Amino acid sequence: MSFDILQSVLFALLTVGIVGAAAGVVLMKRITGSALLMAFAFLCNAGMFLLLGAETVAAFQVLIYVGAITVLILYGVMFTPQQDRRYGLFFQTQTPWAALLVAPIGIFVAFFAFSFADPGKALPGGGDLVPLATSVFGDFAFPFEVASVLLLAAMIGAIVLVKRDEE
Amino acid sequence: MIPLGAFIAVSAVLFFIGVAGVLVRRNAVVILMCVELMLNATNLALVAFSRKAGMIDERGSVFVVFVFVVAAAEVAVGLAIVLSLYRNRPTVDVDEVHAMKG
Repeated sequence: MSFDILQSVLFALLTVGIVGAAAGVVLMKRITGSALLMAFAFLCNAGMFLLLGAETVAAFQVLIYVGAITVLILYGVMFTPQQDRRYGLFFQTQTPWAALLVAPIGIFVAFFAFSFADPGKALPGGGDLVPLATSVFGDFAFPFEVASVLLLAAMIGAIVLVKRDEE
Repeated sequence: MIPLGAFIAVSAVLFFIGVAGVLVRRNAVVILMCVELMLNATNLALVAFSRKAGMIDERGSVFVVFVFVVAAAEVAVGLAIVLSLYRNRPTVDVDEVHAMKG
């Protein structure tokens, strides 16, 4: 009973964290702040995964997103200049029309999201590592290998793209 | 017990914020960040469906692992493109980059 209340409170806090941080990423003027808020949104998303009972995915989220991708993005911020312009010109002149167009879509999506019926059946206890590993190395072994090839290709491509010509 | 729809609603809101950021911001690095936010929204929806839909195995989480892989590859190549672009002409404003526009 009390755990249910705690769960709801945690969900509300994480929702505020995710939505607030994501809005900050879009609205903030300094891109360093955007990058750090993005890391915070990733961290709150890891909390969501924990709340859903997917501990392994939450650990991957912290390792890959909060660790690796944030550092990579911060390097990108470091190597590029900060700018003054915040928004594209398109949305500065047509705000009412944009709001008029987006509001019905948003309301429709919200209704659609809440229309999913909850099966109300919790999974059996225990971690999710064993079923995850069984799926990855069982049914999804070939896509897993293809993903490793993709990562290798991306790594080589990134090196080639930023390599200086030695001429 | 938090209903499934609540998680999907948070995921939808996060995705929409990401789309808005990609459309509104003109800094290429911030656009990459917003793409990452959208991928995170997808991950949240996948894990929520996987955990709440009564499946015994972890198919949804497996797809989340693949999304991680694709996100890492995307951000690496994207930042390499942004850096080589900045080396060739000193801007990261995507409105000023129109060399390939017809």
